[in-house]
Amino acid sequence: MKRLDLLVNERELELLLKRLEQVGVPGYSVNRHVTGRGGSGTVVSEAMEFSGLGANAHVIVFCDSSLLESLAAELKPLLKTYGGVAYVSDAQPL
Amino acid sequence: MDTALVLQNLLSPAILFFFLGVFAVLLGSDLEIPAPLPKLFSLYLLLSIGFKGGVELQASGLGSDVLLTIGAALLMAVLVPLAAFGVLRTQFDVFNAAALAGAYGSISAVTFITAESFLRVLQIPSDGYMVAALALMESPAIIVALLLVKLAAQDRGAAAETGWGSVLHEAFLNSSVFLLVGSLLIGLLVAQYSPSGIAKMEPFTGQLFYGALCFFLLDMGIVAAQRLADLQQAGAFLIGFSLLTPLVNASVGLGLSSVLHLSQGNALLFMVLCASASYIAVPAAMRMTVPEANPSLYISSALGMTFPFNIIVGIPLYLSVIERVLPAGAL
Repeated sequence: MKRLDLLVNERELELLLKRLEQVGVPGYSVNRHVTGRGGSGTVVSEAMEFSGLGANAHVIVFCDSSLLESLAAELKPLLKTYGGVAYVSDAQPL
Repeated sequence: MDTALVLQNLLSPAILFFFLGVFAVLLGSDLEIPAPLPKLFSLYLLLSIGFKGGVELQASGLGSDVLLTIGAALLMAVLVPLAAFGVLRTQFDVFNAAALAGAYGSISAVTFITAESFLRVLQIPSDGYMVAALALMESPAIIVALLLVKLAAQDRGAAAETGWGSVLHEAFLNSSVFLLVGSLLIGLLVAQYSPSGIAKMEPFTGQLFYGALCFFLLDMGIVAAQRLADLQQAGAFLIGFSLLTPLVNASVGLGLSSVLHLSQGNALLFMVLCASASYIAVPAAMRMTVPEANPSLYISSALGMTFPFNIIVGIPLYLSVIERVLPAGAL
């Protein structure tokens, strides 16, 4: 079992979720209104939320490791175009 | 410029609350508006202005003068981004030039609403069909900006290519355009078939309106001041562009207003539409369709410089010029 953590701008969230579903992940959790500071020093805030350019979203996916290759193929172009990060780690059900 | 007009604008509650937001940031106050509220107030302002515009449009009808004004508005929405792109290309790459051109080709509904409130205070009449011009000027610049990118950019990555379906969806169905046009149509229908509904809506769309505008401008003051640091990094050219463009576009707007024989109130609203830049619909669309462009450039210039310039200096300046150029009795 793998855990995938994705941080993207809320603006691209729907696009990201659509790709996750295309790959066939069993489910996902979404935390909206995620603020902080990016690696390049960019401050992520909710200040522009009124315009639709809100804060970030944190998407957590638990899935079988066999899906990782398809996930990388679907998500990397998206992250490269719009920005965002994705990390994979091992997960174990309690 | 008429000093009394400037003072009346500067000392209006809306502008004073805008300054309060600016000072909160500059003085390091912990004042902040919880994120969902500015979104709620921006939607409220669009709903109210759309509904009232629809009611008034039903009363005025779609005569030739109305159609000509709307046609002129659409023409400006196409010409401004093309001209701006030519200027901006001297300093920026295709993507940033196109995104900035899109922002300046589109409009700021809040600047329009502030101008309309200013006219109400001065008891200068304007027509509801100007709201239709407002609604129709939001989208064309988005399409022009993307056309410019498609024509001028080479070796664009496949991932960055956006289909026309998505672009048109973003241009015409983004939340602000959708709500504004929808509310306009509702206002038209209610005025035509259920006039008693106008009185029912009045406490919400009428009496609360100015207070909500002040509250929203308080937040805009905070956000605009937060953007000033980004603008310093953008450089003198963009700062100059964001201050001169409204003046040039407003001058063209004045010329068209004169040709169209617009009333003083309508002329001010038309000039403000030409002079303002979008920091809501266009940035959201550019983020999706031109992700190569740097959002801090097009948001900071439109929101950090052009918006404050227009609401603080522009509106009384434009009205002052209108009073000298256009006769008060014009239709």
